[in-house]
Amino acid sequence: MSPISPEAAATLPHGINLLEGRLFQANEMHEAFRILRAEAPVHWNPGTDRFNGFWSLVKYEDLLHVSRHPELFISSKGIGGSGLRYPPPGQGEGSSSIITMDPPRHVKMRRLVNKGFTPRAVLQMEPKIRAVTNTILDRVQGRDSCDFVLEVSSQLPLAVICGMMGLEEEHWPAMFDFTNQILGSGDAEYQARVAPDKVGTFEGATLTAADGNRRMNGFFRDILADRRAHPREDDLVSILVESEVDGERLTEGDIVAFCNLLVVAGNETTRNAISGGLIVLCEHPEERARLQAEPSLMPSAVEEILRWTSPLHHMSREATADTEIRGQKIAAGEKVIMWYPSANRDEDIFDDPYRFDITRDPNEHLAFGIGEHFCLGAGFARAEVRIMFEELLRQFPDIQIDGPPERLRSNFINGVKHLPVRLTAAR
Amino acid sequence: MSHRVEVDQQMCEGHGKCQASAPEVFEHRDEDDLSHVILDEVPDTLTAKVDRAIRLCPRQAIRWVS
Repeated sequence: MSPISPEAAATLPHGINLLEGRLFQANEMHEAFRILRAEAPVHWNPGTDRFNGFWSLVKYEDLLHVSRHPELFISSKGIGGSGLRYPPPGQGEGSSSIITMDPPRHVKMRRLVNKGFTPRAVLQMEPKIRAVTNTILDRVQGRDSCDFVLEVSSQLPLAVICGMMGLEEEHWPAMFDFTNQILGSGDAEYQARVAPDKVGTFEGATLTAADGNRRMNGFFRDILADRRAHPREDDLVSILVESEVDGERLTEGDIVAFCNLLVVAGNETTRNAISGGLIVLCEHPEERARLQAEPSLMPSAVEEILRWTSPLHHMSREATADTEIRGQKIAAGEKVIMWYPSANRDEDIFDDPYRFDITRDPNEHLAFGIGEHFCLGAGFARAEVRIMFEELLRQFPDIQIDGPPERLRSNFINGVKHLPVRLTAAR
Repeated sequence: MSHRVEVDQQMCEGHGKCQASAPEVFEHRDEDDLSHVILDEVPDTLTAKVDRAIRLCPRQAIRWVS
């Protein structure tokens, strides 16, 4: 992270700089957001010599407003972070996936696959999700402890999305690895493939993300060639191969970008909802006891886990015209960043927002966003989190966290890299 | 006074939140797995429920027709 200039730093409310992954890695963002909601609900977070500044949005209603106007606040100029001040030539050209696509093309592309993600599709997949969950838990049966992230929480969403895409199990570890490089690029742990003197630097992060994308996209070009030569019935890759938008087949680049998104979005976020869910349940033993005594509360508990963990810290947009939010003028071309953990603890929306309440009602959190870009995989995420905790708490009723979680250095993903747990009751 | 409401079928993904908020107005149909408006004119007594459905729709696919 390049430093912010002293003049710019002086303008930060209480010195809070949301460009810093460290704030999130230390899990200190909630206090920062509480201050911002009260004192600076729409404020300009200055950039650095490398990154653009941005308007920071922390109120629930403001996130709703931006999400409801996808033509005014577009995604095609980037959705993670505030973007580079001086992007390298060629960046932003070529193929993009639906997450960085605007209306009207966005919905046309999304509709190619969205039947596979509807509540009905999820319901049909439930027995399979439960079977996979039990296979994962069987592997740690008889053990006293494990790394919950590596051995449990990451494994279910990885298996589900890779299964939907028709990828054989031998490829799943690579998908996990590439995803960590792409979304965890700013964390030294995932920079193992860059030169030692670059680890922990801006260049190390850039190279790591590029390497992850290059490897993931290369993998999918091979898969695509295979599906073209050996068509299959109903996996997502084959559906994309056969699809047309506006009378035209998708290009190789379109399909590869789509597959990259499905794998990354499908396995990273749910992993962190499950890891974060176990952490919060262990931190609130009364709520956990209530849930274990009354498993029918699980769907409501899942919603509270999603509100509480908000697996994605932010999405960013770019204004296409001069506009206003909460009376603050926003100029065309400026970035706005929507902070989900803040909206999900907004005192104007949620009663006692810092209380973890598995029966909270209403609980209209924005963990999946809303509107045009509402999380395509929300139904699967909900089902995976619910089924995992149903099976986990049934089979390991005494599971406890056994050491501090190691969190991801990122202001984008609320990631947990490692979580030591004790699976059985302490002797 | 009554009003008309519509569901954008291009946007709808069958989450069913509207039917849960205002079952008198919205119906989730099995044949296409989407929500449909089943009341031509929404009476004032149901306006608040429809407003809630509009607010909660994950895809923001519902709107009043003037």
